[in-house]
Amino acid sequence: MSWWRRAKLFIGTGLGALLSTGAGAETLTLYWNAGHAYQAYAEVIERFEADHPGWEVRWERFQWPDMRTKLIADLAAKNPPDLVAEPGGWVQEFGQQGLLLPLNDFVAKDGEAMGFPEDWQVRAVERNMLDDQYFGVQIHLTCGTLVYNVDMLKEAGFDAPPATWEEFREVAIATTGGGRFGFAPNPSIGYYWSWFLQNGVTYYDPETNTVNLDSPEAIEAIQFLADLIQKDKAATTPVAGSDYEGPQKLFTANRAAMIITGPWDVKPIRTGNPDLNWAVAPSLNHKEQATFAGGVSLMIPRDAEHPDQAWELLKRLVALETEIAVTKEAGMTMPRKSWVENAEVQADPVIGSFGKCLPYAHDVAAELRLTGKHARIDKLLRSVIEEIIYNQVPAAEAMPRFAKEANAILASN
Amino acid sequence: MAADGSMGAAASTGIGSGARSFFRTRRLSRRVQQTLIAYSLLSPAIIYFTVYFFYPIGLEFWASLFSGQPLIGESRFAGFDNYVTALQDARVRQSVFATLTYAIGVTAASIAIGLGLALLLNQRLPGRTAIRAVIFFPYIISFVIVALIWQAILDPYTGILNGVLANFGMPTQNWLNDSSAALPVIIAITVWKDVGYAMLIYLAALQSIPSDFYEAAAIDGAGPAQQFRYVTWPLLTPTTLFIAVVSMIGQLQEIAPAYLITNGGPADATRLFSLHVFEAAFFELNIGYASALSFLMFLLILGITFVQFRLLNRDVSY
Repeated sequence: MSWWRRAKLFIGTGLGALLSTGAGAETLTLYWNAGHAYQAYAEVIERFEADHPGWEVRWERFQWPDMRTKLIADLAAKNPPDLVAEPGGWVQEFGQQGLLLPLNDFVAKDGEAMGFPEDWQVRAVERNMLDDQYFGVQIHLTCGTLVYNVDMLKEAGFDAPPATWEEFREVAIATTGGGRFGFAPNPSIGYYWSWFLQNGVTYYDPETNTVNLDSPEAIEAIQFLADLIQKDKAATTPVAGSDYEGPQKLFTANRAAMIITGPWDVKPIRTGNPDLNWAVAPSLNHKEQATFAGGVSLMIPRDAEHPDQAWELLKRLVALETEIAVTKEAGMTMPRKSWVENAEVQADPVIGSFGKCLPYAHDVAAELRLTGKHARIDKLLRSVIEEIIYNQVPAAEAMPRFAKEANAILASN
Repeated sequence: MAADGSMGAAASTGIGSGARSFFRTRRLSRRVQQTLIAYSLLSPAIIYFTVYFFYPIGLEFWASLFSGQPLIGESRFAGFDNYVTALQDARVRQSVFATLTYAIGVTAASIAIGLGLALLLNQRLPGRTAIRAVIFFPYIISFVIVALIWQAILDPYTGILNGVLANFGMPTQNWLNDSSAALPVIIAITVWKDVGYAMLIYLAALQSIPSDFYEAAAIDGAGPAQQFRYVTWPLLTPTTLFIAVVSMIGQLQEIAPAYLITNGGPADATRLFSLHVFEAAFFELNIGYASALSFLMFLLILGITFVQFRLLNRDVSY
């Protein structure tokens, strides 16, 4: 055989193999948060692929901001993924734009068997609905609360965690010193809400279409935190930037006595410093005991190529056994009522403590999101809080200015 | 050579016999033939620029005339409202000011330090090749890595720099949390990253200046400072123009340092214009407004580049 014929045979065989492989494979694209890529989910995906021969799940992992950028570009190009995890708020935001597939037909078919929506906490269902239509299914339901270093508190003479703002300030001041801080606040805007909520502040009043953050309670809440940093020197200045892991790293390194965080930091703390003696406390009580709620939902874009298969995978990802496996692996809290009642969950002191905060956790921006202006107003709020925390502008001056700007945005078309 | 001039042009550009017969039979004028040939040769570039430059620019301008989410969702025609809103927005003005400060700061410092390093490393120094490589190395690193490195160095509580200061008994600094320090800090980080590029271009330019000029200047009694002032610097004008234009265009569009290191903070001190546009588009889902902002930035860059050419573009020959 001449070299030319051999070359043609080789190229032909290669192209044939390539074409036959491509023709047989179907790909289901799943966008996921990089921090939530737990082994339990990897196993669910493996089982899905085994049960659906010829299907491959392309599991793409991103940080939330990067995922949002990619997703919007995909939506503009009408080439979205089949199934997307979102950090809260996107379901209603994209649903309002007609970019998501309503899930009512799927729920009518499979809801009873999978326990949806009856087995989900009511607000975990409501936050993913628009006009009686389901656009998402909650997969994680979380909240932030006080996490403390038991040994540092004991060294300072405290046998129990603080329960009120006054006690919190006292503990923070007492545990500060020698390169260690009483409290390490998080720069991410959502974390500031524990202070506002504990002082009875809500973000938005739908009846008047105004934000409420110029109230004396809102001003008092943010000034309390600013004073703790600037006057008492009992808290670190949060590091400006997009990294929200700084406080967790200081806590894990035994350099912060208290932080506010959620179950997403359980695994990093446990693996980062297995010897750390730490515990989860109930949220503080000033005017009321409250904290912010968070969580992740799954949604299917309207232009998804494989919505039926996406729903099949979604059902497996939100199954109770998957929830329990993820809780055991990473300490994540979940939206199912049956998860809360599970004996293993209740027996875990850390997870159980986070679970106890869920009843008084608030979805802060639930009503503001429906205006479609939440992101713009949140950006303004972040900017003004940074003025108070970093530039030492009095909250009494900055918060009314914010409210005026935010209300002008809300009043505009 | 063909008797007919137009045929000669066609033949010389590789046009085949089919085209030649086409021209013969249609008897097109020489001017039309040349135009057709020119456009046929230019067509790949025209198609490329149309698809990848002019169409997106046109699409962006079209989107800027709508409020809401043109291109992905619901929108309505708003005329030039987005432009009016942008020009009245104090945050836009603040981000333009921060961006101009950043771009001018980075460009000026890169030129000054890059030229100084090039002059130094153009001398016969031991290990100069290795030193050049070390200085150039940050330029080829992704800004994501640069951001991680400098965040680790500048963290006020766990950072290396404050650790060093504390060891020497000096006060520690809130490098990235201080509104007055954050922008100079990210300018410095960008200069650290980019100065190797300016140095390399200046080195190439310095090595292309004939040594006769320096010998003549020395004979006339010029010292090193006068040689730099009257020989080196004038002959480096085209290089300086190139670095200034390329750097300004790049830095005016820069988003990475603000996004990765400070996220625009503290209190908007490092909110560069591109970050403002990015957030308007991808976080606020305000696509029409973001398109108007982008178009305004396009006009600003065009204007600044024009001014740079007017100020620095001088013919230099040697």
